[in-house]
Amino acid sequence: MKICAILRTVPDLVEEIEVIDDEIEPFAYIANERDEHAVEEAVILKERYGGSVDVIGIVDEDSEEEIEEPLAMALAKGADRAIKLTMSNKSYRRIEQAKALAEYFKDKDYDLILTGIQGIDAFTGMLGPMLSVYMELPFTGYVTSVEAEDGTVKVQKELGGGLLGEFRVKLPAILGIVSAEKPLRFVPLAKLRQVMKKAEIEEDELEIPEFEGVQVVKYYEPEKPEIVLLEGEPEEVADKLIEAFKEIGVL
Amino acid sequence: MELESESEMLETYMERLSEIQDGEKYKQCLQCGTCGGSCPYGIVTKFTPRKMILAVRANIIDELLESGAQWLCTSCYSCSFRCPSQIPLTDGIIPAARELSLLEGNPPEELARALMNTARYGNPFKESPKKRDRWVKEVDFEIKTLADGPADVLFIPECFGAYHRRCKEVTKAMAEIFNRLGTDFAILGRDEKCIGDSNRLSGEFGLFEELVEKNIKAMEKNPFSRIVTIDAHAFHSLRSEYPRFGFSKPVLHHSEFLAENLETLKEMFSELEYIVTYHDSCYVGRRNGIYDAPRDVIRAIPGVEFVEMKRIKENALCCGGGGGGVWLDSFIKEFMKERPAEERVREAANTGADILVTSCILDIPMFEDALKMTGLEGQIVVKDICELVLEAIR
Repeated sequence: MKICAILRTVPDLVEEIEVIDDEIEPFAYIANERDEHAVEEAVILKERYGGSVDVIGIVDEDSEEEIEEPLAMALAKGADRAIKLTMSNKSYRRIEQAKALAEYFKDKDYDLILTGIQGIDAFTGMLGPMLSVYMELPFTGYVTSVEAEDGTVKVQKELGGGLLGEFRVKLPAILGIVSAEKPLRFVPLAKLRQVMKKAEIEEDELEIPEFEGVQVVKYYEPEKPEIVLLEGEPEEVADKLIEAFKEIGVL
Repeated sequence: MELESESEMLETYMERLSEIQDGEKYKQCLQCGTCGGSCPYGIVTKFTPRKMILAVRANIIDELLESGAQWLCTSCYSCSFRCPSQIPLTDGIIPAARELSLLEGNPPEELARALMNTARYGNPFKESPKKRDRWVKEVDFEIKTLADGPADVLFIPECFGAYHRRCKEVTKAMAEIFNRLGTDFAILGRDEKCIGDSNRLSGEFGLFEELVEKNIKAMEKNPFSRIVTIDAHAFHSLRSEYPRFGFSKPVLHHSEFLAENLETLKEMFSELEYIVTYHDSCYVGRRNGIYDAPRDVIRAIPGVEFVEMKRIKENALCCGGGGGGVWLDSFIKEFMKERPAEERVREAANTGADILVTSCILDIPMFEDALKMTGLEGQIVVKDICELVLEAIR
């Protein structure tokens, strides 16, 4: 099976991010966690059924250095090729990324394209579905495991209300991974550094088209609620809690 | 990139063991079983250290890894302390097996997350390195950083002391004692990374080395004469492991610093009416032979009645938090109904003490959790030795 996993970089929320009107300035970028699960699942499938795994890292000029460690990590885990795709202009919009990727994937003949179900930057869960439209390939999302069966894959996916479902998807196809079948495998730092030293990361450009109609007006953080810690003996805390409830009108 | 074969596994294992001091002593194993009899997990593990050596000799390391025995170790050092052949079990035999698990990519999940967070952020909690010095805002005096100028004492709070809500209280208490004593002290602040002892003992040697390099570099920013730390594992690592990397400053455990300043402190002490027992933390006591300093400090506080637990000094039972153990709770629960910390707080409560004094920062979350699990909460309170001292001088 020829598999491709998409790896996006997103702002690292553990570090500070600066929000300036229509710009979000992160202090650092990190691999999108769901995409790391897509890479993991791709490697699991390769180990089980053979074939190859290409991992493409989508970056812009701000995040292009920070994709190198996650791409090396993918190679250390068992991916065969790592490709850094630099967007011609910075875009978080999935419709723009999907159209560009559809163009990029045209002559690549992947049997399976895996993407994380959601990226924390755009928060739409739409990269997979939109890619499916542009590439005219089947798509299923919220996938938690994949089994290959004669030119198809049987996938288990999460449904609403805690239900699970099994679907058969004809290949080639695009899958949105919510989590890999197994926890993300661990790579010791010495091994990662070793791979980073000799890793050959291919580079390519991703021509991003512009879609008009939606414009950023502003980004902003919601007002933080005031947090008051009630301290003291349990009886004292209970009294203070009752007072607080009365104050906000719940009691 | 998993290790392909058993022979490759054995080769990697042997290579690591050869880099550990006295690693070749495993050949002198008498198979006496003292290690397994001393181990807090000896009764539940399929491979005690003795059997681990046997597994290496028989080239069945895969069976050993499969059993999970390499993770049933709190690095308490009892086995190594008692081993008649002085084999580095805690520093070599076990971490080298753990390293194989890491190379296989499948260590217990919580521990894996802690290690990955430490690699990225310099702490296991997935907290921003910029928040490492936030605790200084919670004290009402100025604390300088080494980057700003030289100091006599470099104070290392380490990760738990810098980020963990309860452990921060210990950090603040120690800082306040320095302040009251007029000690010229500084911290590394945001430049401090995890000192790394748990990473080393978990088999993440590469990460440990990177942390050592970064910390040594941060310590070179300005002169200081010695280190004082409240973290027993940081204490051990800085004192015994960092010198291999070119670090050569004296390192004091805070109980030693308190004992050193006892005459001044005595003049400041007021009476505390407590019955106090003391837990010998593994890396203060058994590992580094510090038994008297904390006892002298406790006994010097007027009003305090000091009582000993059943197992003390080199025979003290571990809290279970060391060597990554603090991240292995749910893994260990699969093997044992009651964790060592629970057994230990029962032992402490049996003395009739109101206060269980500890000297390792990991003891605090481990024992406070154990008090909740055993229903002893309220009967006995856990305090670090510097918290007790601060209470006596307030």
